[in-house]
Amino acid sequence: MIRALLRRLNAGPLPPPQATRRRDFWLSLVAVAVMAVGLRLLETGLSAYWVQMICLAGLNVVLAVSYNLINGVTGQFSLSPNAFMACGAYVTALLTLSPAEKSLSFILEPLVWPLSVISLPLPMALMIAGLVTALLGFVMGFPVFRVRDDYLAIVTLGFGEVIRVVANNAQSVTNGPLGLKGITHLTTVWWAWGLCLAAAFVVTRLIRSSYGLALKAIREDEVAAETMGIDIFWHKMLAFMVSAFFQGVAGGLLAHLITTISPNLFTFFLTFNLLIMIVVGGLGSTTGAVLAAVLVTFGGEWLRVVEEPLSLFGYEIPGIAGMRMVVFSLILVGFMIFMRRGLLGRNEFTWRWLTALAGRRSENK
Amino acid sequence: MSGQPLLDVKGLTCRFGGLLAVEEMELAVPRSQLAGLIGPNGAGKTTVFNLLTGRVKPASGSILFEGRPLIGLKANRINRLGLARTFQNIRLFSELTVMDNVLVGFHGGLKANFISAVLRLPSYRAEERRILARAEEILELMGLMEQAQERAGNLAYGQQRLLEIGRALATSPSLLLLDEPAAGMNPQETLALSALVRRLRDELKLTVLLIEHDMHFVMNLCEELTVLDHGKVIARGAPQAVQRDQAVIEAYLGVSPAKCASTENGDA
Repeated sequence: MIRALLRRLNAGPLPPPQATRRRDFWLSLVAVAVMAVGLRLLETGLSAYWVQMICLAGLNVVLAVSYNLINGVTGQFSLSPNAFMACGAYVTALLTLSPAEKSLSFILEPLVWPLSVISLPLPMALMIAGLVTALLGFVMGFPVFRVRDDYLAIVTLGFGEVIRVVANNAQSVTNGPLGLKGITHLTTVWWAWGLCLAAAFVVTRLIRSSYGLALKAIREDEVAAETMGIDIFWHKMLAFMVSAFFQGVAGGLLAHLITTISPNLFTFFLTFNLLIMIVVGGLGSTTGAVLAAVLVTFGGEWLRVVEEPLSLFGYEIPGIAGMRMVVFSLILVGFMIFMRRGLLGRNEFTWRWLTALAGRRSENK
Repeated sequence: MSGQPLLDVKGLTCRFGGLLAVEEMELAVPRSQLAGLIGPNGAGKTTVFNLLTGRVKPASGSILFEGRPLIGLKANRINRLGLARTFQNIRLFSELTVMDNVLVGFHGGLKANFISAVLRLPSYRAEERRILARAEEILELMGLMEQAQERAGNLAYGQQRLLEIGRALATSPSLLLLDEPAAGMNPQETLALSALVRRLRDELKLTVLLIEHDMHFVMNLCEELTVLDHGKVIARGAPQAVQRDQAVIEAYLGVSPAKCASTENGDA
């Protein structure tokens, strides 16, 4: 029902007239300001635990939005975010850790030379991590985009494992299974949600441009897209690299949020979680990905209720640890049965939708 | 280049395993001609289109387009050189709007890089405006302006065929390949299509090569016909001459009983 409503209200002549564009711009600016004030209040008012959760939600939004670009918009079923996050996390951590801390951590084998003396500020480290991860995406793209569909999923899944195995064994670079410890807690809500804004801005602008149209065309019909003069390989690569860039930066911020990283952190489960988010939000919908990333992050916390002991009609039910995962799975199953295309399908929440809705309300009065 | 045909195909041969789909085909389409490719089902007509647009690689032969060899080029490169097609089994981007389908056609020719597109630099915006205006012209020409924001998959069958032509036009071709454009159209729509194709030639100076089973449509529109049967050219020439050609009649209707019956199936 939400979807039908969105589709109806979003329909209209394109492109939006100049006035609408200007209005949307101001509305977005106001929304960002409101968000900033809200974050400020939450940051000061909530416990450290919940602030941590808000940061995590922000990072999940970044990851889901960029993942959606390649899986939802371009239709390439990639399973590599965990590889990109691992790459970004390790690069950032290795660049920001002080030489003293590095020599403390690397007890089995010393860290290789240039890395052992470098110590960069976070913004520069994040930028480098993003670029390195995009480069990794570029290198991966050559074998990956020779295949499609299920095969592409398997190849990208394989790369995720390769990165993890490399992290486990490249002792003198990654410190192997011991991982990196003592990373400074630098990720604040501002970093996390600031990156959200950047990712949402770039991805949305990209999707709305001619390039985004080409990506959707590739999703709809590769043969037709190629026959219409679109170089499908380079367009897939573009989406893959943009997605890798943001996932790398998000991985870097994640490292500075949880302060300890090891290869086992970056298993397929990370990817799986993101996949749940973009499917629940609606494959191809950026706003859906944002919504679902926040819901899934906090959903796990809200569901703790079901693990607490409760009394029902005089019966005492003891709390069962892990019960929330059962409930979570049941909710997901329900989603896949009743809302197969996710919360928003391929539609987006737009200002036009909101103003149209408001206009309708006032008409009814 | 005036004496040279726009499209020059020589000795084109294509095999699918043991099946010889196209055999030693010769085809020359001069500029601004309305050419037709006909033949019974399974004669290899669509395979010829697939060979021309780079979807299928030939076993041997040469394809020259504006004097340039096409064999070995990727499909998107061939399109950029000025060769656009429609598909027999409609292949629209059905989840996108009618307008977006046409806009996709312009993307291959876009000069702005993706960074200027994301930042919406003035150069990109100017290009976008120009493309939008031209897309509207195309939809106007196709009579699809009313449905511009409709999902392409929701269009009526005949309109989908028109949209495919519109999308092909957006890639600014000099040669347009139409694979059964009139299939599924009613007589009025077919008539309108006939007029449209002629306008494309007269006003946009396009060269058109089309595959069609509607003989009335082909005979009235095309200036030169090539008849294909079992991958071989069995006749070519003006429609009236081809119509009377004994080999063509036999390919479509079967060999006359006097000559010994065969199992050829005609469908026109």
